[in-house]
Amino acid sequence: MAEQDQRVADILRSLKERAKELNCLYQVEEITNNAEASLDDVLRGVIDVIPPGWQYPDVCAARVCINDTEHASKHFRETTWSQSAKIKVYGEPVGTIDVVYTETMPHADEGPFLKEERKLLETIADRIGSCITHRRLLETMQSMRTPAKAAPARGREWAAILDLLRRTDQSLLMRVARKMINHLCWSGVHDAEVLLQRFSPYQGIDEPDVFLESNRPRQKNSTPSATTLADEVFDLAAVNLSDDEIISCVHGWIKQDRASFLVNTLENYHTAISEVADAIQRYQHAGHGEVELSHSTRKGLLVALVRRFLSDQLEYINVAKNYVEIKDFHQLIRRLIYPARGHGKTGGKGAGLFLAYQIVQTHKDEDKFLEEIKTPKTWYLTSDGMHDFVYCNHLEDVFSQKYKEIDEVRQEYPDIVQVFKNSQFSATIVKGLSLALDDLGDKPLIVRSSSLLEDRFGAAFSGKYKSLFLANRGSKQERLEALMDAIAEVYASTFGPDPIQYRAERNLLDFQEGMGVLIQEVVGTRVGNYYLPAFAGVAFSHNEFRWSPRIKREDGLVRLVPGLGTRAVDRLGDDYPVLVSPGQPGLRANATPEEVVRYAPRYLDVINLDTNKFETIEVREFLRSTGDELPAAEMLISIYEENHLSAPLMGRVDFQRDDLVMTFEGLLNRTPFVKQMHALLKLLEREVKHPVDIEFASDGKDLYLLQCRAQAPAKSTRPAPIPRDIAHQRLIFSANRHVSNGIVPNITHIVYVDPQRYSQLATREEMLAVGRAVGKLNKLLPKRQFILMGPGRWGSRGDIRLGVSVTYSDINNTAMLVEIARRTGDYTPDVSFGTHFFQDLVESEIRYLPLYPDEDGVTFNEAFLTHGSNLLTDLVPEFTALADTVRVIDVPQVADGNVLYVLMNADLDEAVGVLSELTSQANYSDDVEKTAITHDGADWRWRARIAESIAAKLAPARFGIKALYLIGSTKNATAGPASDIDLLVHFNGNDEQRRDLLRWFEGWSMSLAEINYFRTGYRTEGLLDVHLITDDDIAQQSSYAVKIDAVTDAARKLKMSARDPS
Amino acid sequence: MVNRPFNAFVMAQSQFDKIADSLGLDQATKDLLRNPIREYHFSLPVRMDDGSFKVFQGYRVQHNDARGPAKGGIRFHPQETVDTVRALAMWMTWKCAVADLPLGGGKGGVICDPHNLSMTEQQNICRAYVRQVVRDIGPIRDVPAPDVMTTGQHMLWMVDEYEQIHGGRYPGAITGKPVGMGGSLGRTEATGFGVVFALREALKELGIRPQDTTASVQGFGNVAQYAVELYQQIGGTVIAVSCWDQEAQRAHTFRRKDGIDFAELRGITDRFGGISKPQAANLGYEVLPGEAWIAQDVDILLPCALENSITGESVIEIPKRVKIIAEGANGPTTPDADHVLRERGIFVIPDFLANAGGVTCSYLEQVQSNMNYFWEKDEVLGKLDVMMTSAFVAVSEMARKRKLYMRDAAYTIAIARVAQACKDRGWV
Repeated sequence: MAEQDQRVADILRSLKERAKELNCLYQVEEITNNAEASLDDVLRGVIDVIPPGWQYPDVCAARVCINDTEHASKHFRETTWSQSAKIKVYGEPVGTIDVVYTETMPHADEGPFLKEERKLLETIADRIGSCITHRRLLETMQSMRTPAKAAPARGREWAAILDLLRRTDQSLLMRVARKMINHLCWSGVHDAEVLLQRFSPYQGIDEPDVFLESNRPRQKNSTPSATTLADEVFDLAAVNLSDDEIISCVHGWIKQDRASFLVNTLENYHTAISEVADAIQRYQHAGHGEVELSHSTRKGLLVALVRRFLSDQLEYINVAKNYVEIKDFHQLIRRLIYPARGHGKTGGKGAGLFLAYQIVQTHKDEDKFLEEIKTPKTWYLTSDGMHDFVYCNHLEDVFSQKYKEIDEVRQEYPDIVQVFKNSQFSATIVKGLSLALDDLGDKPLIVRSSSLLEDRFGAAFSGKYKSLFLANRGSKQERLEALMDAIAEVYASTFGPDPIQYRAERNLLDFQEGMGVLIQEVVGTRVGNYYLPAFAGVAFSHNEFRWSPRIKREDGLVRLVPGLGTRAVDRLGDDYPVLVSPGQPGLRANATPEEVVRYAPRYLDVINLDTNKFETIEVREFLRSTGDELPAAEMLISIYEENHLSAPLMGRVDFQRDDLVMTFEGLLNRTPFVKQMHALLKLLEREVKHPVDIEFASDGKDLYLLQCRAQAPAKSTRPAPIPRDIAHQRLIFSANRHVSNGIVPNITHIVYVDPQRYSQLATREEMLAVGRAVGKLNKLLPKRQFILMGPGRWGSRGDIRLGVSVTYSDINNTAMLVEIARRTGDYTPDVSFGTHFFQDLVESEIRYLPLYPDEDGVTFNEAFLTHGSNLLTDLVPEFTALADTVRVIDVPQVADGNVLYVLMNADLDEAVGVLSELTSQANYSDDVEKTAITHDGADWRWRARIAESIAAKLAPARFGIKALYLIGSTKNATAGPASDIDLLVHFNGNDEQRRDLLRWFEGWSMSLAEINYFRTGYRTEGLLDVHLITDDDIAQQSSYAVKIDAVTDAARKLKMSARDPS
Repeated sequence: MVNRPFNAFVMAQSQFDKIADSLGLDQATKDLLRNPIREYHFSLPVRMDDGSFKVFQGYRVQHNDARGPAKGGIRFHPQETVDTVRALAMWMTWKCAVADLPLGGGKGGVICDPHNLSMTEQQNICRAYVRQVVRDIGPIRDVPAPDVMTTGQHMLWMVDEYEQIHGGRYPGAITGKPVGMGGSLGRTEATGFGVVFALREALKELGIRPQDTTASVQGFGNVAQYAVELYQQIGGTVIAVSCWDQEAQRAHTFRRKDGIDFAELRGITDRFGGISKPQAANLGYEVLPGEAWIAQDVDILLPCALENSITGESVIEIPKRVKIIAEGANGPTTPDADHVLRERGIFVIPDFLANAGGVTCSYLEQVQSNMNYFWEKDEVLGKLDVMMTSAFVAVSEMARKRKLYMRDAAYTIAIARVAQACKDRGWV
């Protein structure tokens, strides 16, 4: 029993001892952490708390010696029962701490001391050491920060700093010394030159040798001991420079040096993103403000960061370096997903948005309309994520996909998509995506491709790669899988036939694919089962489609739609965005309520949260069922009643009963939206130094910027170079007012309504007949290969003397609408700018040009248009009476096989219509986007070859064929990828032969359609369009028979097989 | 002069001369009615959005107000000419007279293109216009209305300016105002219903029961829809309607031989009167070419959409069975086609009588505005019925008694009424 009691007592005593020791340690912590107290106070305090922590406090005493100072307990004296520990600063012993018992005490682990007490003492010594280190650092820093202090008081303060460096960071000391010696040399101190020699790595080598670049490796010079050299340097400095100058130099260099690890990390191309990210993080955590960096160091750092993460395009870097700060990258990397050893970038879209946002942030104080502009939360998956994905799944083969024939690419693409979707992402990426999902929450997401090619100013890669919407519903695992699936699909789109063909045409095939991905929350709110922004759209700082002469190009253009912005980006043909020019918001493309209603958006794109799908729904139905829930609905709609449109105030809408039209009237008139857009476009254009195009969306409260890039002219709207040396007989007309951009190539026919003759028509009926004749010609002439030229205002209603009365369906095949304003007396009439069907023209990309033939400096070759033969009677005999007024000119026939090109350049405000050979457009401008229609003529050549070989295989006697002709676009060398091959068969066989023949052609037709699909991606049911004509038809010149030996566009006879196969 | 340019006023005058001669009007009356009785030409200085000023040219022409205050629209048109305005003012005189409204004829215009003007600038033009003519218009002088490129909004600005100057409320100074701001109910239905009120009377006169008739309609817009609705209500059967297909950029005719179901068709029609082709096909309608409406074997043709749709070419396709054509649209028949219709003895209700429901409703708006008491829609439409009926009866009586073609009878009665008023007042 007694033994057990004894053991319990021992345990209790031991526990008591530990408690005392702990208490002691806490007190030491507390004392050393007191920054207010002087070091002496701290040491005294420590001495006081030590004895109670030891086993026998009454006989315990302590002493601390540091350098020359000593603190000790009152009754301290040296005895044999003592313990001691060294105090170190930067690893150098600076003093000791001793604990003694003044009397004999029972023997324990280490004399009378416990082993726990030894540990405690060492810990206390450590604490004191770091306390001193900390205080010294603080002092040094403080002295650096307050250079204003009177110099004499500081004395040789720089010496103290150097001293500190000498003991703590010799390499920094060395770098500082090196800088000082350079500084001294530069200041003209002769002795410094000598010292410099000793720093020089080339010391002892004859100069010529240096320049001869001998192949022999140089001997490494053993550098003199750092401290000695530094001492010499600073001794020299002390002689030649003032204390102030030295301190400020040293001060500056040390600061610069502090960022060097970041510079080093960045400049080394081999460091992975993760290392760069760590470096940025370390830099940021160290609490260094950027202001402390010298201008050049800071710029260097920023440029390196921009190049590393965003873009290596010089134009981009030039702008970006003025707008980013290191902390911005710190923000960026927190939302950056990258492979383990990645080197990728964010890609074009990511870089564009990042920069635009920084610009807006920087300038938001200048303009109150910029203050509220936001960007949605965005995560970036770097461009090498795709390579990581490909390597991870051993799919390297895909990289050579682009060098295959386009039909192969097309054939294999669906497989690639499937393979990609069934592949795995590396663990790092999955982890990153998972983090992203946690951060983004369960808002719907858009996964946007952000290709490195998009990055290039000039090549408009927009829309070539996929962007996918995700409802982002369900469990975390489901959401993650959906996200990965979408990213895989975006990756696969890199290997799709369209982008590959597009790249091939621009010689960009060899550019290495790099596809960054943006994972962005979709701006919007939930309305019913749908998720959508209240409105969204695209905006351009340059307006290339101006509907009024009062609108200037710089006034910009906004295409505004309800719901997701997808409908504003694409030209849909059957639906219309609302157009606003932010510089002239009052001037609308549509003036009357009928026009406004006619051209109002009819559908909207939404994310259906029930089905997790992207859907297109009807505006009216949507408003009727869920309008009450739509945020800011009053801003978006107008009530249409008895031909009157009114923009309702809050609460004045009955969504179930009112006839509602999407006009955005409230938004445009009662909110700062237009001013915000105007300010934003102006700012970005000014700062990027290039016209910009942006995407935006609003959840009904805030305006979000979704994307920003250099405004690349859309298809057919690039400024055309205007040749200066056109022979006058080749120039048909020129213009120098209200010119937009673009090239209208390969015009084979001109329909010219003579303005003077038209104005002299005696009756309204005759004028209306002109409109009907134009409508008829519109259906007969080759689509987009003819232009309409006529007086004043095309599409006039009511007073049709002002222009030919046509509707859009009467002109919808023309390539261009030209309005001629002839002066009468001293008065030049207005032109319409195509206002009667302006939005139809915009969506169908029919170009518009006004001509002012009677103005100075303008050419108008009236003779070309009015002389020469007129095809009107041949084409539409019923309108022969109008032959004086309406002239149809077969350009190649009149102009020796040449065709007409209209070249328009808005920058110069000039346009010309010139005659030239039928060629690909490349002759005029290499970087002009090749339209699908005639790119390098491959399509028609292939078709012509096919037609010839069909003819060669056709057995005339077997099928009862007299002759075979080629007509239409293949004959005219204008066939595009979707064109069919028009064959005219002069047939004189019986019904059975006719059936056989048609079957024979059908087989060809379907096979060719399949081949054509693989070549071009255009799906058609058949490629041959076969027209049978008989002797009767030829005799009567009915239907297609007119083409045989016709005046214009005559059929071309094909050589058939000489004899029938038996 | 050979090839003299087309001039609307010259045309209107020669049309008048023809009828005046047949009526044997004296020279002074002819001289009075050949020309407007008053014209105002003025400049409208307007402050533009950019702070600059621009001067627009404006006109108001009062052709004749012997029968009552002049009535007619104000047009905003970039190449407005005073001759156009004169011709249209004269036509307004005849139109009000044929409908037997106690109104004269007028028209106004401003040379401008609203496509190049902001709403603020257009408002400034409207107000400047009223300031120029404020002494010469008003509920008892001349009552403007919306026209080409002007809307209820423009009218509201104008009436407001008028009221600001006069220091009172004069809603009857201008018509075509939005409903609730001095506008009348029933305007949407007025024209289409008016066509069928006239048609009903024509059938009565020809001794045909509506329920025994079938009709083919061109168009399915506002006018056509209400015409079809009312025609079916009185017992008729519509077997075909044509309409414009915006997507295909061409017209289709939808036919069901045992009669279309109006409610069903309207359910698949967009705001612009476009019937959904696939949905109609699903519902069992035949889809024929756009021009097919005219060739249907029916008793009645209702051209309610386009000008010049019955031409010299298409008129020959009209089947023998067709007895009545009621012109709901403006000018649907070209002169050569009109000649054929006259020869064939088809009963034509001419446009300015058939579609007078619109101007009649404007008159009713004026009446309601002047007493500041607005009727329910039924009351408006009931009065419209009475007025259209008596207008039609007067014209057809004239046609019957004097053996005139309906179009000539309508002109004759209109001109005679105006000439009579001038004489009664002792003007000529």
